[in-house]
Amino acid sequence: MSANATLKPREFVMALSSAALGGFVGTLLRDLLIKLDDFPSATSSLVTWTHEIPWPLLIINFVGVFLATRLLRGPLRHRDPNNLSRVLVITGFFGGVTSYSGLFVDLAQIWHLSVGGSILVALGAIVSGVAGGWLGLLEWRR
Amino acid sequence: MTLLLVSLFGAVGCVVRYLFEYAVRRHHPTQRPWATVAANALGSGIAGYAAYRLIGSADAQLRDVVLTGFCGGLTTFSSAFAIPAIIQREHHWGYSLTLIVTTPLLCAGFFVLGMSLAH
Repeated sequence: MSANATLKPREFVMALSSAALGGFVGTLLRDLLIKLDDFPSATSSLVTWTHEIPWPLLIINFVGVFLATRLLRGPLRHRDPNNLSRVLVITGFFGGVTSYSGLFVDLAQIWHLSVGGSILVALGAIVSGVAGGWLGLLEWRR
Repeated sequence: MTLLLVSLFGAVGCVVRYLFEYAVRRHHPTQRPWATVAANALGSGIAGYAAYRLIGSADAQLRDVVLTGFCGGLTTFSSAFAIPAIIQREHHWGYSLTLIVTTPLLCAGFFVLGMSLAH
């Protein structure tokens, strides 16, 4: 795992470029998917906390955990953390497409409408993350 | 234009997180995701500060670039749960559970701290 802890300058630049490229594409995809759900409600005066649940981000995060786990247990299993494919896909793309901070921003907005609702969504996000990881491991269990 | 800037700052956030991970691995070779936890906590703190300052402001582009772009790229949900799943698979149950429970609490704490600093 720690066989390649220090990179040569050229390898380091390549790794940074891979993280940047993956992050660019991942963030672009997340922003596009979240904006698809961004249409204003027709009954905006009657907004309840359930209308503020960030479904797109919750689904993106769940799928991201599932796929990242599958890749880390499958094709990328024996790759060094500095391996370009792993940096591009796991650190860059999946790191960019999923978001922890975005979840907290959404939870803070729900908090103003319902404290209980915010806690419920937070617990749901954690459970979905655990479930995504567990499902991602299933394929390799015998 | 906003979409391009958001994506560019997302890339910058990912690079900063990679630099965290690289620096930690270089000085303390470990399989444990300390740097990912630190990046998530720092990103959540910045997001708390920026959310307090920018949500509701007229500058929607700056809000999107900082919150969706930079903070979104700096933090990662996928590694925060994929790595504990793999650690659990290797029979380190206690450590995996500790990561799953403490990371959200730590990030929530940093988010609130960020909001408090912005207040």
